[in-house]
Amino acid sequence: MPAVSVDTFFACSLMVMLVLSAMAATTTVLRPHINNAAEGIPERYREISKYLLLNEGKPSNWGQNGQTAPETFGLAKPFVKSAYELDMDKVSRLNSENVYAISYADAYASLKMPDVSFKMEIKPLFEVSISLVATFKLDNDTVYKFRISTERNGSPVPTQLRMLTVAEDYLDAISVSAASGEKLQNITISDSVTGPALLVVLARSSYNDKIASFNAFAFAHNSAEPDPKGTFLRLSPLDYGLNASFLTSGISLTQAYALTFDYDSPLVQMANTSESVTYEIPHFLDSAPTVLVVTGLDTLTFFSEWTAYPQMPIDMGADFADSHTLSDVFSFTYLVTVDSAIYDCAIWLGGPKK
Amino acid sequence: MRNGNAGQIRIIEAVFAVFVIYSAFAVTANLPISQSNSRNDNLASLGLQTLTELDSDGSLGKYIDQGNWTALQEDLSLALPTGVSFNLTIYDEQMCEINTAVIGNGSFGNQEMAFTEYVCTSRSPAFRCYLIRLYLAVTT
Repeated sequence: MPAVSVDTFFACSLMVMLVLSAMAATTTVLRPHINNAAEGIPERYREISKYLLLNEGKPSNWGQNGQTAPETFGLAKPFVKSAYELDMDKVSRLNSENVYAISYADAYASLKMPDVSFKMEIKPLFEVSISLVATFKLDNDTVYKFRISTERNGSPVPTQLRMLTVAEDYLDAISVSAASGEKLQNITISDSVTGPALLVVLARSSYNDKIASFNAFAFAHNSAEPDPKGTFLRLSPLDYGLNASFLTSGISLTQAYALTFDYDSPLVQMANTSESVTYEIPHFLDSAPTVLVVTGLDTLTFFSEWTAYPQMPIDMGADFADSHTLSDVFSFTYLVTVDSAIYDCAIWLGGPKK
Repeated sequence: MRNGNAGQIRIIEAVFAVFVIYSAFAVTANLPISQSNSRNDNLASLGLQTLTELDSDGSLGKYIDQGNWTALQEDLSLALPTGVSFNLTIYDEQMCEINTAVIGNGSFGNQEMAFTEYVCTSRSPAFRCYLIRLYLAVTT
């Protein structure tokens, strides 16, 4: 083989190897930066989702003051050492039913991240379903047969139940066990009681007192069918006070109750105007939400309205349903504590697709 | 004959050049890449947060002291999102497995798994320390 060919061969090989080594080195050096541009997005969103739950916002008591919008958004309860413990008033102000609720625009602006939209859901770890399956008329009473199910995404949850029936000048409570996640229960109400009646069900996991849920069901009793929730009053709990705003004229309130798994108590009126009444909510020791029921008369018709404190479930924020092709959307799930009870918190964060 | 040899040399050169190029590409393609484990990190983080939350009032240590494995399983089933399989093992200070029943909600199959460890304590009647190992996987 001539020496020239050998030289040419080695020279070419050397050049090819040099060029390819340079390509390999460049790729190796740049790959982390290239990847970070895309892979850093979920990491950034995850940190933002934690920030929403671990930061108390500014001012730190923006939840208690219904007239104040937060300068900086954050839901953590101030002055607590445990992580993921949320302030019940800040959470209540995310519920659009609350007259003191902050809008998504306020929350978005106070997050101070113009390229990040978010959506937040906070709800009990399991659902309580109530259905009326039968009615029996006795001589002086009526018996209502209810099916109560406690489920998490279709799977039964063993629970202890407390059922309270509220009607005009009437409050009755019974406690039962639903070990299989379902209970058929008869509720007997005297015909002397005027309705519509409201059945409030407070459920607590059989194994953990901090895992609780609730629901309520209005039904006719010596009355016409009940009007939908929110027809007569807008109930807004905040800072251990309940504001009941009248939605129609001619309303007079008769009673208000705070109901928990272990306690029930009538509410004491603190203030009264022509448009609303304010009650004081007692501090119960239960690690479960307090259900608040207000009864009254609309001219001569009895009604009852209810809500919970903290005002759950929460579903606020941007609608990402049709944005997945245009945006990077990531969801994160956390367990959070609100007033000693554990809730499920899901946060969606999205921004322009990169 | 010499011209014929020169042609052969060119062919051999070309073959070697192709070999070198392909080798370089093969090496480049297999350079170690830092794979993102963010999905597993999320799952492990969720597992740790769940254990921390459930133990905020000392419940985990209490259940372990009582040998109440059903309560542990029910709590985790409720607290973890639907579609997440888990398997939990509890060890004492001597690293002996102490749970006498399986604490989990199904088999893992071939899914990607995440793993988290949590140390919990109890103080009734005596101070005890337990190591909890929680394996998690997303059910597909």
